[in-house]
Amino acid sequence: MIFQNVKIALTSMVHNKLRTLLSLLGIIIGVAAVVAILNLGRSATDSITSSMNIGGIDLVTIYPQGNNRDGNVFDLQFGDTLMSNVSGIKTVLPIYTSNTRIRSGQDVKTVSVQGVTSTYFDVMNTELLYGDYFTALDNINHRQVVILGSDIAKELFPAGNAVGSYLSIFRNQSKRYLIVGVLEEKEATLGANFNSSIFIPINTFEQRFMNMSKVSSYICKVNDGANAIDVSKKVENYLNDLVGSDYFFVYSAASIVEMADQVTGTFTSFLAAIAAISLLVGGIGIMNIMLVSVAERTREIGIRKALGASPKVIRGQFLVEAITLTIIGGILGIGFGIFISYAIVNVVGWNLSFSYGAIILSLGFSMFVGIFFGWYPAAKASRLDPIEALSYE
Amino acid sequence: MNNVIELYNVRRYYIVGDFCVKALDGITLSLPRGSFTAIMGPSGSGKSTLMNIIGCLDTPTSGFLRIDGECTSNMSEDELAFLRNKKVGFVFQQFNLLGKQTAIENVMTPLLYAGVGAHERKEKAEMLLERVGLKDRMKHLPSELSGGQKQRVAIARALVNDPAILLADEPTGALDSKTGDQIMELFQELNEEGRTVIFVTHDRKLGMRCNSQVYIKDGRIAEGY
Repeated sequence: MIFQNVKIALTSMVHNKLRTLLSLLGIIIGVAAVVAILNLGRSATDSITSSMNIGGIDLVTIYPQGNNRDGNVFDLQFGDTLMSNVSGIKTVLPIYTSNTRIRSGQDVKTVSVQGVTSTYFDVMNTELLYGDYFTALDNINHRQVVILGSDIAKELFPAGNAVGSYLSIFRNQSKRYLIVGVLEEKEATLGANFNSSIFIPINTFEQRFMNMSKVSSYICKVNDGANAIDVSKKVENYLNDLVGSDYFFVYSAASIVEMADQVTGTFTSFLAAIAAISLLVGGIGIMNIMLVSVAERTREIGIRKALGASPKVIRGQFLVEAITLTIIGGILGIGFGIFISYAIVNVVGWNLSFSYGAIILSLGFSMFVGIFFGWYPAAKASRLDPIEALSYE
Repeated sequence: MNNVIELYNVRRYYIVGDFCVKALDGITLSLPRGSFTAIMGPSGSGKSTLMNIIGCLDTPTSGFLRIDGECTSNMSEDELAFLRNKKVGFVFQQFNLLGKQTAIENVMTPLLYAGVGAHERKEKAEMLLERVGLKDRMKHLPSELSGGQKQRVAIARALVNDPAILLADEPTGALDSKTGDQIMELFQELNEEGRTVIFVTHDRKLGMRCNSQVYIKDGRIAEGY
């Protein structure tokens, strides 16, 4: 029966192509708007997050601030303290940072020197262009070895492989450091600019840069599967109790992502509300065309009643017709919306993040519009008096 | 139960403005199974109202009727629809075919409402279209058929649920006399096969070709016409 009704609906749509299209326009535009907006909202969020290059989505960074009166808790052992008090952290990397002059041959320049542990490179996923990373042993023995970021290596050693050469780092006095490795280019994540930094063992740093009062930052890698935002909140709570909120700053890429999500989310739901209004207008269009259809087919309804169609059956027929209409409108709208999404994404240069939820939502909503706005015309048809309907010209 | 239709003192009044129009004013009538009855009367006599009541499209103001043994008083709209579907086959003056559906789809429609499966629907409809001589026109739309062919489709449609009565309202009224004759012959054949046929007409000559006649005048059964 439903199949027959769908067929009847399709037949009458084909007979009145232009009228059908015009009355579906509201639904088509509404659904297209919903699909496009939700797709674009997602694409916007994704491109914002990926433009921030969150290689460090699983990292939480702590920046100690100011000078805590109660003595310095932010020392090299603080990582162990943190891990025993906050769950969900896999490792903590203490980092010293200082801007210092370096010299190679006649070239002198100021760069960011980072004192890091030997595990730093593995956690940060860096790749080597030349040479090797320094080892835990280099660290323990305070060896004067250095790894160069790619930009610095290019500037100071344009000829090529810098490994094996020496570099002077000024701090009170100039010291010669053996270059053991050169990093491949890597996009800066928040808080770490690899290409224009040089890296030395953290113990060497501590020895050479004596007046550093505290560790510059701690990078915490969260456990696999743990939520970086949750961990960063726990870290904040812990530090609030420990030193007070004035003396640290916690930063995680995930929290930025969350913020971007919230901004685009608000924007998306605002636009979706506007789209919903156009769906409402589309629904009224459907109601109108169904009322016209019922009026035009009064005689047909009379015949069907004479042949034994109960009011329920007549109502079902016109409801199915309304739903068929709106679902076809929905499908056209989805196609149109995807087309718009592609077009805009191409112009703006984002990657399209396809929102399947939007499609299911739109189809569901079209069906709902069909039932809601088709009900009254269908009920009207089902109540027609068969004798009057049969004599209708 | 030998009477397919029994009416007891059936009245049908309409309120039109301040007036009460007595379309039917106390009709008592029994029609036996297998009869071929003409209901005759001038226009405005109430014969159309009588047909609508027998066909369960309308319900009496008072009195009651039984169709094939089933009393229609107190029936809901759904039950009346079921009764029309199962017990009554309508044939109209204006054919009343569904214009956007082919001949066979038209014939299958009552079976659809009876909940018959697709395969059986097709089989029965084909059989009946063959019976009325339209085997080669099954896939045609009504607009592609002549008046006589349309009426044959309508008759096939009326018969498809094997109804207790075949109710024809001026079935030859829109046809030329030769085609009308052929349709009349078809009804006679169907009656000879055992169908109960009620033939509503204002045409005396056609009425006399039926086996019995009922005259309606001013909403009552009259002695002569």
